[in-house]
Amino acid sequence: MTKHLLKLIWNKKRRHGLVIAEILVSFLVLFGLFSLVLYNGQNYRQPLGFRYQNTWALNLNSGSDTAALIGKVNQIVGKIRSYPEVMAASLTESNTPFSMNTSNRTMEYEGVEIVSDVFFTDFDYPKVLDINILQGRWFQKSDLTSTYRPVVLNQEAALRLFGAENPLGKVLGSGENPNRVVGVIGNFKSRGEYTPLEPAAFELGNPQEHRFSACLIQVKPGVTAEFEARMMKDLGAMAKGWNLELSYLANQRKSKNQIATVPALIFAVICGFLLLNVALGLFGVLNLNINKRRDEIGLRRALGASATGITRQFVAEMWLLTAIGVAIGLIFAVQFPILHIFDLPTSVYTAALFLALASIYALVTVCALYPSSQAAKIQPATALHEE
Amino acid sequence: MIKLTAIEKVYRTSTIETLALDNINLEIPKGEFVSIMGPSGCGKSTLLNVMGLLDNPSKGAVEIDGMEISRYSDKKLARLRNQKIGFIFQSFHLINDLSVLDNVEIPLLYRTSTGRSRRELAKEALEKVGLSNRMKHFPSQLSGGQKQRVAIARAIVGKPEIILADEPTGNLDSVMGAEILNILLQLNQEGATIAMVTHDEQMARKTNRLIRLFDGRQVS
Ligand SMILES: Nc1ncnc2c1ncn2[C@@H]1O[C@H](COP(=O)(O)OP(=O)(O)O)[C@@H](O)[C@H]1O
Ligand SMILES: [Mg+2]
Repeated sequence: MTKHLLKLIWNKKRRHGLVIAEILVSFLVLFGLFSLVLYNGQNYRQPLGFRYQNTWALNLNSGSDTAALIGKVNQIVGKIRSYPEVMAASLTESNTPFSMNTSNRTMEYEGVEIVSDVFFTDFDYPKVLDINILQGRWFQKSDLTSTYRPVVLNQEAALRLFGAENPLGKVLGSGENPNRVVGVIGNFKSRGEYTPLEPAAFELGNPQEHRFSACLIQVKPGVTAEFEARMMKDLGAMAKGWNLELSYLANQRKSKNQIATVPALIFAVICGFLLLNVALGLFGVLNLNINKRRDEIGLRRALGASATGITRQFVAEMWLLTAIGVAIGLIFAVQFPILHIFDLPTSVYTAALFLALASIYALVTVCALYPSSQAAKIQPATALHEE
Repeated sequence: MIKLTAIEKVYRTSTIETLALDNINLEIPKGEFVSIMGPSGCGKSTLLNVMGLLDNPSKGAVEIDGMEISRYSDKKLARLRNQKIGFIFQSFHLINDLSVLDNVEIPLLYRTSTGRSRRELAKEALEKVGLSNRMKHFPSQLSGGQKQRVAIARAIVGKPEIILADEPTGNLDSVMGAEILNILLQLNQEGATIAMVTHDEQMARKTNRLIRLFDGRQVS
């Protein structure tokens, strides 16, 4: 019967072209949507690796002030640390987590080169962000005078640079001032939950010599806006003419995450409309088809098809048409993993393919069932009736 | 072979009620060739449909081969049609998107059969109606007479005991019509029980028995 139906479809291929094209497009769109959703979901399952709750980022923009900047920054951070409401504070650069600023650099180990985010900071960074140290240690006072510049890597950076080897003590790059790995932390997803794991490296800046441009502050839970206002007023008085800008990491995280979720949501809504359109289209074409084929239905019933056999035939025809559309779609879809378009993992593409396949078949079946069951209700004697 | 007892068929639409068959009692023994005549709209097609299990009578009993079929399920009726009955229609009812051979194979698709055996049987049936040289053609490439011969091949491919033909020569000229009748007579010679609706007295005379209908009733 399958071969018979395939011949029937093949001989009507021109009339089926539109349906096949609709199925093809729907399949590809679903494939895209599922790839995106699965990719985001897979990333989301990887924890950030740090705490953003009750954490503030303060930008220390000195404006037109040029006098004794390093001293003023140290005074400011000293003042911040003196509040009982503050648990910890750390000086860093403006590329605080979830901010719009990034800083990166190429790192090299025995011919392996990676591009890594670089965070310049001090001794208290892991305390403020509640970062777990998996191997080795964070920076300590003695690092300020060591010959090697110490560096702490996140797991992703260590993995890409050293593979399975122990990262501790490894020396990166050459030249007069190379880095030595002193510690490894877990994840550090500074761009939000929906981004993949990226390498990150932390370097120590001497607060007495380096002019830091931002401060991360961990406050006690339940700290009020009144405290925020009081602190900002105190700091403003200390740094006349500076432009101090405070942001909540929790808010910044939200907007960062929206960069991933909003397009996905818009895509999903558009897909929804598209699929609804396709579904209605298929439904209409099937209904029309079945009316045009009343003769054939009557004939097949006369020749031995049961009512359910007719339903099955029409559903099977749609399944075969879908198989053709999907087969063509597959040719396009497999290019994504093969050519590494968008750089998503192959596992995501594979899962998305199967989900798209299942959804398109569900959609087609739902659209085909009603018209096909109507076809079965056509009385053979009436269908064959001729005046 | 076919036995109709007190058959009545009423068609009801919202406005009118048509008594298409009125108390039909009829027995067609195995191997008989019966022709059915009557003016247009007198119920000939309806009678054939009832005999062919395509339509349920409003009243009365239909027996095929001694089996009373009024309680048969749709599936069982379909199987009975497939195995015992071959249909031939005035307007051929070929599927235009399938080749001659594929058209002839259709009845075999509704029973357990292999592709090879279907092919063999369809070729055999086409040979019988003299169309083995047109197997790969499509219906649109055939003349009316050839189309009807394809339809006959399709009707006999499953080797049914009964052939029901509703004005099989109605759309054909007299030469082609005569050809078709000859094929049917030949099939009857080989044992088929045939009921044929016709408007042609001469053709009817060549069959074993003539049944005349008028307004749903049997008048002779
Ligand atoms: N499906 C139907 N619905 C309503 N009336 C019908 C239907 N089929 C046939 N009839 C009516 O039943 C009568 C007999 O029709 P039919 O058996 O087709 O006549 P014939 O084949 O002798 O020309 C006609 O009056 C016709 O209009
Ligand atoms: Mg008729």
